[in-house]
Amino acid sequence: MNNSAVVNPVPSDAVVVDGVSMVFNEGQQNQVEALGSIDLVIRPGDFVSLIGPSGCGKSTLLRLIANLLDPTAGSVLVNGKSASQARVEQDYGMAFQQSGLFEWRNVQKNIELPLELKGWSKARRRERSAEMLELVKLSDFAAHMPWQLSGGMQQRVAIARALAAHPPLLLMDEPFGALDEMTREHMQAELLRICAAAETTVVFVTHSIPEAVYLSNRVVVMSPRPGRITEIIDVDLGDDRDEDSREDDEFYARITDVREALRGADRVAGARGIEDR
Amino acid sequence: MIRRGLRRAALFIVALALVAVTWELYVAFGPEDGGEVLGMRILPRASERAMPHTWEMGQRLFDPEVRGQDRPIWLAVTGYAWYTFRMALVGFLLGCTFGIALAVLMSRFRVVERGLLPYVVASQTVPLIALAPQVAALGGNWDLPKWTWVAALGAFLAFFPVSVATLKGLSSTSAASLELMDSYAASWWTTLTKLRFPAAMPYIIPGMKLGATAAVIGVIVSEVSTGVRGVGFASLTYAQKATSDPAQVYTAVFGAALLGLAMFGLVVGFELLVMRNRPAEGSS
Amino acid sequence: MFRKIVAAVLPPIVVGALFLGLWELIVKAFDIKPFLLPAPSAIWAELIDRSDDIIDATLNTGTNALVGLLFGVVFGVAMSFVLMRFQVANELITPLAVALNAIPIIVLVPVFNNMFSSTTEVPRRLMVTLIVFFIVMVNVAKGLRQVSPTHLELMRSYAASPTSILVKTRIPNAVPYLFTALKISAPAAVITAFVAEYFGGRQNGLGYSITSNAAASRNAASWAYVIGACTLGLIFYLVSIGLEKTLSPSDGSTQARQQQSGGLTPGGVTT
Repeated sequence: MNNSAVVNPVPSDAVVVDGVSMVFNEGQQNQVEALGSIDLVIRPGDFVSLIGPSGCGKSTLLRLIANLLDPTAGSVLVNGKSASQARVEQDYGMAFQQSGLFEWRNVQKNIELPLELKGWSKARRRERSAEMLELVKLSDFAAHMPWQLSGGMQQRVAIARALAAHPPLLLMDEPFGALDEMTREHMQAELLRICAAAETTVVFVTHSIPEAVYLSNRVVVMSPRPGRITEIIDVDLGDDRDEDSREDDEFYARITDVREALRGADRVAGARGIEDR
Repeated sequence: MIRRGLRRAALFIVALALVAVTWELYVAFGPEDGGEVLGMRILPRASERAMPHTWEMGQRLFDPEVRGQDRPIWLAVTGYAWYTFRMALVGFLLGCTFGIALAVLMSRFRVVERGLLPYVVASQTVPLIALAPQVAALGGNWDLPKWTWVAALGAFLAFFPVSVATLKGLSSTSAASLELMDSYAASWWTTLTKLRFPAAMPYIIPGMKLGATAAVIGVIVSEVSTGVRGVGFASLTYAQKATSDPAQVYTAVFGAALLGLAMFGLVVGFELLVMRNRPAEGSS
Repeated sequence: MFRKIVAAVLPPIVVGALFLGLWELIVKAFDIKPFLLPAPSAIWAELIDRSDDIIDATLNTGTNALVGLLFGVVFGVAMSFVLMRFQVANELITPLAVALNAIPIIVLVPVFNNMFSSTTEVPRRLMVTLIVFFIVMVNVAKGLRQVSPTHLELMRSYAASPTSILVKTRIPNAVPYLFTALKISAPAAVITAFVAEYFGGRQNGLGYSITSNAAASRNAASWAYVIGACTLGLIFYLVSIGLEKTLSPSDGSTQARQQQSGGLTPGGVTT
């Protein structure tokens, strides 16, 4: 276990969150203090999960890293640049709970969207989208429309789209939240395989304790009102996790750790909303 | 909430004012005899006769309909509009009754739906109002007051949108809710009144809005082709006096606007009543 | 497949045949005078007899409807971009459009007849344009505005320019809304062009022919023109459906989404 959030950031760090706080509707009646003072360093190659009850600001933190929101105070560095610079230079890919596929584009065209925006040539886009389809094992579905795919397949397309430009960082906001348990476990294994193949750093927001523990090498536990990091738990399941890792003693031990940390956070805030599965 | 309403009302008035200002600007600077754009005569004449000033339209409301009378024209126009409104209302209510009844029948018996639905759908795409002179001719023969036939045409036009919307609503009930009613061993009638109708309301009310305006248009057009003296007929006869009294026709237009809004407001009122405990659009 | 087609086509044909048969029978059995209600056979005879005139009248009314429809769609789409871009314009114009929609603005035809010349087709075409304009404007503006929040967030995460957000997200999102507007306005254009003839002006279209024949007690002839009017309405509707089928990517989800959010129809804003 490791309670110190800031571990001497260095320029090569994937993400450095330094003293960030976020207040919505500042100065108005419905003012909400979403995040207290947050410090967090994510190293290249890390798989970091953000977990906590509803309203703990984990999605807000992810959007601050993505520069979809601007912090009220503090700074965010991504790949040693400001978050806005990193967004402009496309240093990250993002996936959401809704796959957010364009229903008027087929699977291949959806994956090519970020490449189009970067101004890639058609031939290059074709090559890369074929490669990504291979990676998410959907090569046979290139010409399908999104609505013809199952939820899990749509989410795989969304991941392929997020990774299409080979960004060093992948930001995911409860991407498997809408999937059933079986599909979800399968997608988790797929995600690990894909990210290992692409050597991507991942920041992953989730409600699910086993999901966080299975995927991550660090689980960031947060508490609400205002959102704070209460604990960071290291998970050591090795680099080659597979389905058997779900039976591992380390797996259960870390699940217990995260649960206890959440209960601690829960006692503080009296909040609910964690899936204990 | 109240502030938002006030803001919207203020914006609406601003929009109307902008329309009036545009009108006046055109009257001031537009070509007197109309004009051509790209070889097409599509610019209106800016003459006094064709486009009177907005304030003249306003003033005209307080002058009598025919010179020498005491009664201001706004009273006369309101009278015409009220007459039209009553015919449209009777037609609308009749149309709703028959429309909903037919929809229930179609949802109960598949054969009826299969046989009639294509006609009901097609009826929405064809100018049913073409039948106005026919119906008037038919009505003239039997000894019924003319207004009943005009109202019947309003009903005819209101009937179809209401019936299509109701049928769609009745068949949109979720399977889970139907299974729940089945598990209570509820009868067809109970399921209809307790589940299908309430669930169909979000469909029926837009259908009613369509039906209400259709009834108004139906009645107005029938007036024109049958000579019943409502606001539609007034707009036609007033327009013919444009040379001597160009502002007069606009009083009839205002009357028709008032009538249309009143009819629409009636359905909106019904909607507020029926839907008061349901989540607003977009809030779910 | 064959059985399915029969099941779909047979009932309406039977109903139609029964209806016409009953009509014919009643007219014959009760000896109803033709100036009251002509028999279907008499209407059919008139239809054949006057086919040239009926086609002429249908073409005249149809041209008015088509010209008005085209102008209305072009202006409506152009204006919808203004409404999307400028919130003030949206707040000013959309309530006006909703109010106008509840008003029988067809009474403006005599006004237009004065403003232009009642010897041209301009007043009628303008009326059609006006009606189509508001339907198209409100619906397309809705499609341009109501983009899924996830799509917008995604485009922001790509640091996409406003232009690419417009081209790659908003416009494709609005396409189904345009087709819905077209399906509503195509029949509305025919009905408007037709009804406008009741309020005076040139005497060359279906509306005029129906009233004048009815007034002259040539009822069967009048009914024959009614058939022309119905055919015209159906053609416009079917063509708009055909355009949608061929031009827009087949997609269930957008349509479902759109039906929930509704749009402006001739008769009110549906929810």
